[in-house]
Amino acid sequence: MFLINCPYCGERDQSEFSAGGEAHIVRPKQPTELSDDQWAEYLFMRKNIKGVQFERWNHAHGCRKWFNMVRDTSNDKIHAVYKIGEKPPIN
Amino acid sequence: MLNFNTPIIDSKEYSEIKFSKVEPIFKINLRGKNRDFITKIGKELSIITPVDPNTSSSNEKLNLLWLSPDEWFLYSNDKVDIKDANTLEDNLFNEISKVKLGSVTNVSDHWIMINLKGTKIFELLSAGCPFNFNNFKNSKGAVTQTLLNHIDVIIHNKNIYDLNLFVRRSFSSHLWSWMNDSVRFI
Repeated sequence: MFLINCPYCGERDQSEFSAGGEAHIVRPKQPTELSDDQWAEYLFMRKNIKGVQFERWNHAHGCRKWFNMVRDTSNDKIHAVYKIGEKPPIN
Repeated sequence: MLNFNTPIIDSKEYSEIKFSKVEPIFKINLRGKNRDFITKIGKELSIITPVDPNTSSSNEKLNLLWLSPDEWFLYSNDKVDIKDANTLEDNLFNEISKVKLGSVTNVSDHWIMINLKGTKIFELLSAGCPFNFNNFKNSKGAVTQTLLNHIDVIIHNKNIYDLNLFVRRSFSSHLWSWMNDSVRFI
């Protein structure tokens, strides 16, 4: 269990949130021109690294807003939280 | 036809905690993003629209709660007068939904209101809630959406040791039972 600082509501318990997987995945502009493998790559393949990862989260039991988070998956340390559409504050 | 009546027809009083009988009140959900929408709500309801997170504003008849940056929850203080409620809803609908400023949804039969009073209410809530009430309990008008015994709730700190708790109708009987069970252990 850990605390997450929702960019809208403030600090809340993790149990109020849902993880939404990897962030900053861009939908291909011309899906019809992709091969099945390329489409599957976009649709299903996600990073699951041990270390710092960019993720989407949803404050499901609060304001119900989506936001992005930079989290170290090995120790759950949260490096940054930022709104959807904003640039990551760290690289 | 909206059902304003609550499935809970009960009220309980324990040492330093009281769950009072829930009056049928009307509730409206308001959604919109632009500044015109916020101004229009304030004008129609004669109330300042709360734009700061986890806050609310009230007048003698109505309470307007901040739910998210583009969502507000309106409820009446007193037992509903169906005629007045319909007039208010129609006004809001005509001024907001019809001109596509935002959405107005009557959720009177969706949410149930439970009033909690007493000096031990926060001990009861803390028994099943991950939210930290330390600052909340001293902030009159504070609002939070959180989980209580794994059930989604909206809590409005109406006054010191006087809360209004909103829960979805289908979960209300279960939450009511949980509260009555849990209060024995505090």
